[in-house]
Amino acid sequence: MTNPEKETPFSQIDYNLLFILFLLICSSCIAIYSAVGQYEGNFVLKQLVWYAVGFGAIAVVMILDFDQFLKLSWYIYGFGILLLLGIILIPLVDPNAGTKEAIVPYINGAQSWYRYGGIAFQPSELMKVALIISIANAITLHNEKYLDRSIREDFLLLGKIILISIPPIFLVMLQPDLGTTLVFFAIIASLLLVSGIRWRIILLLLLISLLGIGGLVAIYMYNPEFLINYILHDEYQLNRFYGWLQPYEFEQGFGFQLVKSLLAIGSGQLYGKGFGEGNVYFPEAQTDFIFSVIGEEFGFMGTSFVISLFFLLVYRIIHAALESNDPFGSYLCAGVIGMITFQVFQNIGMVIGLLPITGIPLPFISYGGSSILASMIAIGLVLNVRSRTRKYMFD
Amino acid sequence: MEAKKKKKSHVPFRLNILFLAVFLLFTTLILRLGVVQIVYGDSFKAEAERQENVTAKLDAPRGKMYDRYGRVVVDNEPVFSITFTRTDNMKPDEMYQIAKKLSGYIEKDTDELTKRDKKDFYLSYRADQRKIYEKLLTKKEMDELNDKEQYLLVIDRLEADELNLSKEDKEIAAIWREMIRGYSLTPQRVKVDVPQKEIAVVSEHLEEFDGKIDIKPDAQRTYPYEGTLKSIFGKVGQIPSELIDGYVLEGNDRNDLVGTSFLEEQYESVLRGTKTKINYVTDKSGNPIGKPIEDQGSRGQDIILTFDMELQKRVEKIVEREILDARQKYAANNKLSSSFVIMANPHTGEIYSMVGKVLEDGKFQDAPFGNVYNQYPMGSTVKGATVLTGYQTGVIEPGTVLYDTPLELPGTPIKKSYRNMGYVNDIEALQQSSNVYMFRIAMRIAGYDFENKRGFNNRQEAFETMRYYFNQFGLGVPTGIDLPYEDDGYNGGSQALGNLMDMGIGQFDTYTPMQMVQYISTIANGGYRMQPHLLKEIKKPGISADEQGDTAYEFQPNILNRIDMKPEWIERVQKGLYMVMNTTKGTAGSYFKNTKGYEAAGKTGTAQYDGDSYLLSLVGYAPYDNPEVAFVVVSPYAEEGGINNKIGRAILDAYFDIKKEGHKKEIIKQPDKKPSDNNQDPY
Repeated sequence: MTNPEKETPFSQIDYNLLFILFLLICSSCIAIYSAVGQYEGNFVLKQLVWYAVGFGAIAVVMILDFDQFLKLSWYIYGFGILLLLGIILIPLVDPNAGTKEAIVPYINGAQSWYRYGGIAFQPSELMKVALIISIANAITLHNEKYLDRSIREDFLLLGKIILISIPPIFLVMLQPDLGTTLVFFAIIASLLLVSGIRWRIILLLLLISLLGIGGLVAIYMYNPEFLINYILHDEYQLNRFYGWLQPYEFEQGFGFQLVKSLLAIGSGQLYGKGFGEGNVYFPEAQTDFIFSVIGEEFGFMGTSFVISLFFLLVYRIIHAALESNDPFGSYLCAGVIGMITFQVFQNIGMVIGLLPITGIPLPFISYGGSSILASMIAIGLVLNVRSRTRKYMFD
Repeated sequence: MEAKKKKKSHVPFRLNILFLAVFLLFTTLILRLGVVQIVYGDSFKAEAERQENVTAKLDAPRGKMYDRYGRVVVDNEPVFSITFTRTDNMKPDEMYQIAKKLSGYIEKDTDELTKRDKKDFYLSYRADQRKIYEKLLTKKEMDELNDKEQYLLVIDRLEADELNLSKEDKEIAAIWREMIRGYSLTPQRVKVDVPQKEIAVVSEHLEEFDGKIDIKPDAQRTYPYEGTLKSIFGKVGQIPSELIDGYVLEGNDRNDLVGTSFLEEQYESVLRGTKTKINYVTDKSGNPIGKPIEDQGSRGQDIILTFDMELQKRVEKIVEREILDARQKYAANNKLSSSFVIMANPHTGEIYSMVGKVLEDGKFQDAPFGNVYNQYPMGSTVKGATVLTGYQTGVIEPGTVLYDTPLELPGTPIKKSYRNMGYVNDIEALQQSSNVYMFRIAMRIAGYDFENKRGFNNRQEAFETMRYYFNQFGLGVPTGIDLPYEDDGYNGGSQALGNLMDMGIGQFDTYTPMQMVQYISTIANGGYRMQPHLLKEIKKPGISADEQGDTAYEFQPNILNRIDMKPEWIERVQKGLYMVMNTTKGTAGSYFKNTKGYEAAGKTGTAQYDGDSYLLSLVGYAPYDNPEVAFVVVSPYAEEGGINNKIGRAILDAYFDIKKEGHKKEIIKQPDKKPSDNNQDPY
């Protein structure tokens, strides 16, 4: 406890991780610049401003010892839920509801954003972090309470996690925002894995989800009409699937984006066309389809470089999780891994036709303030865990 | 410590499992990227290099219209239009804001705004729309009706004066009305022929509209002869929404202007130009690369009409003058407010002049379309057809003498001529317009024994026989004129014997003036029913805008049928018609005395019309022995003063005057002839 560095956790920052983050920021700026050009609305500058805000958030997150989050977790959770409730409730009293001036406007058929003046903010992004903290908290408390766990206690923990997860999932589904819902599931899944719940239960859950997905595929193969009429309902959802499975037949809707995206990435080949030399045009490339721009201009080299960056990032987070001598820290890290990995996999997967198109941005790279803020706060948590670890090494 | 150790033991292992999962997922991504970028990279690259093709279209000017002597009657004028381009899912409020802003910069005529437009407009932007619905609909209606039905009910119940639209609001509504007629991503004209001053103001503020409002060069039809025949030339306008699919299939754009009525509609395919298409290859940002490939379009073909605008103008003046004169001289003519006149070539069916004048509030309105849209009882003018039908059916023959005296029939008012003529033959019957002569022909065709008051057993056959022959003259059938629509008269069906007799004097079935001119032409030209037409020639577009090219098509006279009657019978009727106009006993004799340079033939008509009123009509042709021009005059509600004959005389005089004066031909620029075509020095 005499460690001089104890008073200054900032000096124990994982600089490897920060360097990876720096490379990601560079990639982001280059890709956005290339996607929109330097003329339109100064996207790169705005993105940098958001990063600055993100670093501010990291600093705030690091002020408190991450232990404190154990106590704060329910306030953070409640705040996140409150923001999500606002999305549902504000349109009911907003006199401008349904117009351009609405505080909660419709964007791409969903109400997911607060907008006031020129600033837009997506509360579900923050909820991701809040969910990580609150579930990690629940696991920690549970494991401290039940040192010897029978299968009953495991189910009890599972029940707690489900209970915590239901409100945010329900509120986000109302928007509706399928992408964020899936990210929630990924966070829950990774936390379940590290929570120590018996393999039997985990395998059972895995089996159930596989059966569910397999069932949907089987229905699609043998009785597509049933799927259309009773499960998907919404034509918007259906079009997504068609756009994914048969992009060339549905080239006008969701298929259009996928066709263009594949064309851009594929034509980049091994080395890419070079910076600013991309010639496949598609709208709004700076957000969800930013990876296509990287693939087109920097080729396989560029795409594998970015994926490697993400892999190294995850590696650093795993490192922090393994080193942490407080299980709460490990759980936080596991949640962050689930969140980042899933978003990366889903986003890149969809632009290369591996997964259906859902509106999930590529963390750190896509243009957009809320996403960057959430990712940066998550990194802040990891840095926090990491920086408070060493003081125990002299125990 | 033991417990802690146990607890800790699972975390690193599970984290490693998590890391393994991450590794597997990322590996999948890398593998898939390898497939897309390396395995299929070549084909994607080839595809991407194909680049994008963009086609721009430039409007081509519409063909012009000329009269038969090469005078321009419908021309094009370059103007500027303000257009609005709607995007997908544009909210009503946004459209309202644009209309409001634009109304501050331009003036917009609000005359065409209908009540319905105002209501639609009112509902479109109101934030409290829901409240209006709740106020105007019952709860049951709100629950049971679908959105569209509810909307229509609300529109129906909304009181126009409740809207309280100010002058500014109305202007916004007029702009909005044009805006909503547009299709997504297609520029829609909000105002055509925008004055220079407004163009300047709007250009200054274009940026405020975010590309949704634009100024585009456009063309507008102009009419050198102003109102003359304008309605027959027709209108050019936005494609009617019910026809849009057909036009788009033919290669039109949704915002194209097409002919929507009369000749513009009839000859749309001729007048329409072919757009110049410019194919660009563009890069990612939409900038053209290299030279565009041009598919040169051409302006529309010009059409030459059969009208003689000089004659048309003079006939219009005559008709106006005579209507005013007749009203002034005879108080009984106070309802006389309109007259219709057609002059045509009896051999070819070419229409020289087509006049319809209607006096409204002391001003004459042009209604030349009345000649094909309106149908009237034409009175004795049809008697030529009755006599020829008599010959053909064998009930009379040339020279048959019948006794003209009032006829009493059971259940019918006494049927008589305007005076008792005693014994008259066929020619005298036409000359003096004997009704009884025609009645007797009709009774004989019907097989009716007048002396014994019996017979007429097969009324349907009798009516059919009469109509069969009348139809051969064009009476009661479409004339075939080259307009999108014509009326073919009213068929009264098979009724009483009295009706059949009335048909013989033009008092039962009704006909249009166009049918009458076809009928008299058929008698004038020796029995050929000619298709009347307004198109004379189609000219290919010349090199410059003022130049006509070669003739692409020339209308050939079209014989629709030859009447069954023998030529000598037709000549006999022609003689009767000659006597109408050239003998003192003839019903029009006093009006056609001392004609200079021609002798006319024709037939007058006085029909009972609209209850107790009368209609005066006249058909005829001149010169008698070699007809050049046939005509019809119809004056509804003419009680006194022989306006039909006065107009008839005056228009024939005008025709022959112009002929004597020579036509002031406007020089049509022809493309230079080949040297071999003329005898000038070969350079």
